[in-house]
Amino acid sequence: MTSIEVQSLTKEFGTRRAVDDLTFRVLPGRVTGFLGPNGAGKSTTMRLVLGLDRPTSGTATIGGRPYTALAEPLRHVGALLDAQAAHGSRTGRDHLRTLAASNRIPGRRVDEVLEATGLASVARRRVRTYSLGMRQRLGIAAALLGDPPVVLLDEPSNGLDPEGIIWIRGLLRRLAGEGRTVLVSSHLMNETASFADHLVVLGRGRLLADTPMREFIHARVQPGVRIRTTDPTALKSALAPHGHDAVEHEDGHWTVRHARVDEIGSIVSAAGVPLLELAAEEATLEQAYLDLTSTETEFTAHPQEA
Amino acid sequence: MPFAPVLHSEWLKIRTLRSLLGALLALFAATTAFSALAGVSETSDPESDPLFMALSGVAPGQIAAMCFGAMAVSSEFHGGGLRTSLAAVPRRGRWFAAKVTAIAVPTLVVGLVTAVAALVVARAGLGDAASGLSLAEQVRGVVGCGIYLTLMALLAAGLAALLRSGVGALSLLIPFVLIVSFVIGDVAGGATDFMPDRAGQIVLYESYDGPLGPWTGLAVTAAWAAAALAAGAWSVRHRDA
Repeated sequence: MTSIEVQSLTKEFGTRRAVDDLTFRVLPGRVTGFLGPNGAGKSTTMRLVLGLDRPTSGTATIGGRPYTALAEPLRHVGALLDAQAAHGSRTGRDHLRTLAASNRIPGRRVDEVLEATGLASVARRRVRTYSLGMRQRLGIAAALLGDPPVVLLDEPSNGLDPEGIIWIRGLLRRLAGEGRTVLVSSHLMNETASFADHLVVLGRGRLLADTPMREFIHARVQPGVRIRTTDPTALKSALAPHGHDAVEHEDGHWTVRHARVDEIGSIVSAAGVPLLELAAEEATLEQAYLDLTSTETEFTAHPQEA
Repeated sequence: MPFAPVLHSEWLKIRTLRSLLGALLALFAATTAFSALAGVSETSDPESDPLFMALSGVAPGQIAAMCFGAMAVSSEFHGGGLRTSLAAVPRRGRWFAAKVTAIAVPTLVVGLVTAVAALVVARAGLGDAASGLSLAEQVRGVVGCGIYLTLMALLAAGLAALLRSGVGALSLLIPFVLIVSFVIGDVAGGATDFMPDRAGQIVLYESYDGPLGPWTGLAVTAAWAAAALAAGAWSVRHRDA
């Protein structure tokens, strides 16, 4: 059981607070999505966890120890920070060999991760000839090199083609399924919704949310019901006594807000409304996130109300 | 974490970059070629020091050595590469020590081989002018030349780590070596004897005068290199990656 623990972490660059008194835990066995707009402090937090930047105050530990105290850290933590980090004049395979050598990871592991990330055929080409997607895969290969129980990936789907995005989704699910601790930052909501179990949301360096993804969405966005009918008048009159109202959309379908499909379904069928379609309208992570950040923006725009 | 795997990794990094191998090859080629030319063209000058004539290829050769040292360090500063390296080896002092060792050893080996080759080809051209050189003087010249080139590579490596830029380090050092030595050096005298290139090249002369001898001169250059490395190590250890 190796978790990441961030405790009252603060990092100032000059007078700017990039990370502001952050406390959260990333637990094993699930994918934790790390969300926030650009500049919210996600990358800085990851660098602090990896001991690359020194915190102004607070601590970040992995399995109870600071990263810099780990002997052969690649066997404990794998990280993708920047797809441009590999030197363009080296081959992808040589880049991984240099990393493996420093942590006494056997050479065959290099070929294994090249195979696993789909880079085996280009392994002996220079990194400068790689597309952004291939560099991203090389960075992921480097993160997997030491078969680590903890994986940190900063925007891993950047530059990946649709096939690559589906691949990384499966990879993240598999890593979590194997009981590893997986922290993945992103600013793409739909993408994060496709793989995350849990969310840590930052805004201006502060923690805005640390909750399971389902809870996060349901707490912020009321579900709705989508209906298509040949008799809108009957629909409206059936709903009215129950305090519901249907709104028509351009393409002819109706939605009932703040309602569950179970309830609306039994109301309209009891009233004999002719139905063409009845479906639950799922709230999306994007809606929930925008709801959270809009309240956050209001909050920060009027500090006197705080 | 143990030192040997980190050193192995740093050595692999040097071996797998063509530009670095190219710099070592340039060190050998430039030094040997210029020494051969000096051997042929300067025989008529009775004033010239035959040992320094034979090893005069060091003047261009040291630029290749400095490029090697600076580029071996600056290759870490491409697009966040240092973060990848320090995530693999978070003990920064140990990492930098391995980097410095991986620069020093190949430079010394190539420097010694180069000095022997330069001496051999130059002597062929110098003929009688070099016949007065004793074996001890030639050994001193060759060993000194290898050490001098190594120290210049390390000076550049330390500066590159401090400035986080190979171009920055080279644009300080190369004009310094070219201009301070050839222009200001002869005018100012005194203090310029203690400049890293001036002091370190005394070992390349058969006869010398002034405050420094061959080995004390190299010690002065070593002090410069040590200062640059200490500053570079401080920067690596204390700055955010």
